[in-house]
Amino acid sequence: MSKLNIKIGLFGKLDMLKFKNMPKVREKVIQSTPAKEISGEFKINTNAALLHPDKLNLLIEDIVDRGKANAKTFVLKSTDGKSLPYFRAGQYISLKLPIDESFVTRSYSLCSSPRDALNGKYAITVRANPGGFVADRLLCEKNIGDSLQASGPHGQFYYEDLRDARTVIGLAGGSGITPFLSMAYAIRDGIEDFNLTLLFGSRDEENILFKNELSEIAAQCSKFKVVHVLSEADTEGYEHGFITAELIKKYAPAEGEYSVYLCGPEAMYKFIKPEIEKLGLPERLYRRKMIDVTSTPWELDGYPMECKDKVFNLTVKQCADEYKITANANEPVLVALERAGIKAPSRCRSGECGWCRSRLISGTVFIPKENELRRWADVHYGYIHPCSSFATSDLVIEVPGEYLD
Amino acid sequence: MAKYDVVVVGSGNAGMSAALYCILAGKKTLLIEKHNLPGGAASSFVRGRFEIEPSLHELCDYGPADNPGDIRQMLDTYGVKLDWVECKDCFRAVSKYHDGTVMDVTMPAGVEAFIDSMEKYVPGSRPKMTELFTLLDEIIEGISYTSKSKGNADPKVLQTKYANMLRTGAYSTNKVLRTLGIPQKCQDILQTYWSYIGIDLERLAFIHYAAMVHKYISRGAYIPKHTSHQLSTAMIERFRELGGEIWFNCRADEFLFDGKKLCGVKTNMGTIDCDYVLANINPDLIYGKMMPKELIPEREKKLSAARNRNMSSRMYTVYLCCDKSAEELGIKDYAIFLPETTDSVKAYNDMINCVNNDEHFIFLCYNVEITDFSPEGTCVCSFTTAVGPGDWNDLKQEDYFKFKNEMAKKMLKNLKAKTGIDLEGHIEEFEVATPWTFSRYLGVPEGAVYGYEVADWDGMMARMMSLDKDYPIHGLRPIGAAGPRGDGYNSAMLCGQLIASLAVRDLDSWKEGGLS
Repeated sequence: MSKLNIKIGLFGKLDMLKFKNMPKVREKVIQSTPAKEISGEFKINTNAALLHPDKLNLLIEDIVDRGKANAKTFVLKSTDGKSLPYFRAGQYISLKLPIDESFVTRSYSLCSSPRDALNGKYAITVRANPGGFVADRLLCEKNIGDSLQASGPHGQFYYEDLRDARTVIGLAGGSGITPFLSMAYAIRDGIEDFNLTLLFGSRDEENILFKNELSEIAAQCSKFKVVHVLSEADTEGYEHGFITAELIKKYAPAEGEYSVYLCGPEAMYKFIKPEIEKLGLPERLYRRKMIDVTSTPWELDGYPMECKDKVFNLTVKQCADEYKITANANEPVLVALERAGIKAPSRCRSGECGWCRSRLISGTVFIPKENELRRWADVHYGYIHPCSSFATSDLVIEVPGEYLD
Repeated sequence: MAKYDVVVVGSGNAGMSAALYCILAGKKTLLIEKHNLPGGAASSFVRGRFEIEPSLHELCDYGPADNPGDIRQMLDTYGVKLDWVECKDCFRAVSKYHDGTVMDVTMPAGVEAFIDSMEKYVPGSRPKMTELFTLLDEIIEGISYTSKSKGNADPKVLQTKYANMLRTGAYSTNKVLRTLGIPQKCQDILQTYWSYIGIDLERLAFIHYAAMVHKYISRGAYIPKHTSHQLSTAMIERFRELGGEIWFNCRADEFLFDGKKLCGVKTNMGTIDCDYVLANINPDLIYGKMMPKELIPEREKKLSAARNRNMSSRMYTVYLCCDKSAEELGIKDYAIFLPETTDSVKAYNDMINCVNNDEHFIFLCYNVEITDFSPEGTCVCSFTTAVGPGDWNDLKQEDYFKFKNEMAKKMLKNLKAKTGIDLEGHIEEFEVATPWTFSRYLGVPEGAVYGYEVADWDGMMARMMSLDKDYPIHGLRPIGAAGPRGDGYNSAMLCGQLIASLAVRDLDSWKEGGLS
């Protein structure tokens, strides 16, 4: 190969000078431009921050008592009266609540229409949970005018037409109705376009949440149907028993594909699993709303029984701080952090969102298979989601910082 | 709180690299990251039974052990280890030649194989292509020399050893390709990679294009076996091993100064004292939001005004997890470039003006290179295109979800029309990232992950030769895609390394001078 001797202009020397002069040319352009105050504002960034804020400051505008259904709907508005982030029907917000010495999160599906967000309103519905740490406090202690801090809307439990069938059979149990109510509103309001047939399990007629709202939407909108399934009452006009494969088939379209969505209490998920398997649906057509991690990990395969009821020592690093606390083996590590008043991030409490992702420096944890949604490298390099990890030894962990006022 | 020599703000590719450089140089280093994950764009996310790569197509400049690129050498120096997978082909491109005839070419990695393939598609092109690669070899060496000299290259060495680099370097890519007499059809095929820099080839300096293309072709492209989150986690792990600290969910809100000297960072997790900040942040954001206005030098205001917010590519990516294997879906290629035209000027202008964005895109299927990238009988694919700000600036929240999905649908149709690959009815998980998404997670202005256009007067070489002027603030240097090396994983990492070396030099000289 002969040595190259390339020139682009007429004279190679001038080409070289042109190269040498590049910084001079650049400096000339810079110096000849009039200086301008630099603004760090960009429309796209502003839009994105409004849609996905670090946190929301909300006020309780109204509280609707759901009577015998043992629940209350909290109508929330932004403290500044402006619109709230738009969302996909089926998504949740995570409340951040200071309770006694603790600082806890709870996620609630938005049960209002996404359209209402544009008018600055969200609604969530909280059902009584005797013995629980948060729900009953919310129901008893929160009044109109009180403020609440929350995350923006999150979660993947929503309709996607490129993925899902045109018809969705929704399976709801108890307060698991909330994301479906939002979807029904979204269909009614022309925001979503799919057929939703809801099989809604309640104990008896009196116990049905949103009975009137669901009937009204069904009357207004032919794409939405609701079938009530009562477990403890054989009442005329209602299905009786539990939601089974047979019942799903009864209401599913005779021809063509359909998707099945599930949202309900832990017991329902256990019951419905073999029923879904009978339907032989491809995985793409079966979507579940992730629910809080189990409260009885020792009932799961692989749990080291000798750890049950134990209390372990936890060393927690967070940025420049370090805390020594204890962790009850029967509760997720996140609960130990919350009990100790450590302000660590969390959102979904199901292992899904990964917002609580923390580094496990030493020790061992048990993670229920259902909630194992970590990235490959996180498993490999020892990162855990404290919301869905149970201590099975003393632990040293490093948690992320938190965005708070 | 302890005082640090260096606080690196932002753990993007540049930030992680800079942090590793500083800790290895013996500096007490803290890396803070506003998100709860490292990596910036080098990340991953989980949907159902899939883990999805958000951004990396092909890492340039890694190379095999016997022909290591700058990135492999850098990661070796840092002691970062992970499993890499070599991509078999460079790319397949389906488009139209300048004369309107159909182009469907598959270009392999390796210079000889690449030239052979070119000869097959464009008979008689071998001599000119060989000449081109000889020139590219010289340019690669020349850039490496310039980079290592940190702005103090010896003109004599340049003029004797790298004369052809000097003579071609200041011209645009197309001008040089034309002058060299590269057959037009070869030029059409060679245009393909322009989108990896995000500027058309009439405005991209030849030297920049040469560096990238040559690295891809001679050293091949690599991807981490388990998404780029594996890369970033491995880098962070190594940084910690060396004694570095990283705080997640810690956002720098303001840089603090003692007179004109930087002395700390105010964050949501408290104020941190330090002598130096390497900020993986676009300078417009630093100057516009994070420091006292009176400390911003006039020249920086002029530079910002001259750049006039001309950002390069804002990304739009569709992630598709399918419930059939790549084989079952008829996907044979890892990366297919599907530009509507091989004219990079038209393609770039369309892109930036939001015209036919769904007609120019890259289709990728990770399982072609990594069979077990997702569960058996499934595969993970993506569409990527670059867009301008127009469509996204004034988009209303209530229209956003529909708008971004409509574009994905058109791309699915276009993919089917152009390649016969039909994914509809097999999509199990679906996600779209838009300029809004990238601005949310990476904080970059307008979601423009590539920083300012590396074009015309503000090209890579011109920036590299202006290092002494571009960093006027005492104790604060921005790093990242807006920096001298421009955009891309490899450029950002090398930028982090280069600028960190200048910071370490500053710190050491202050210490010697007793100024600290």
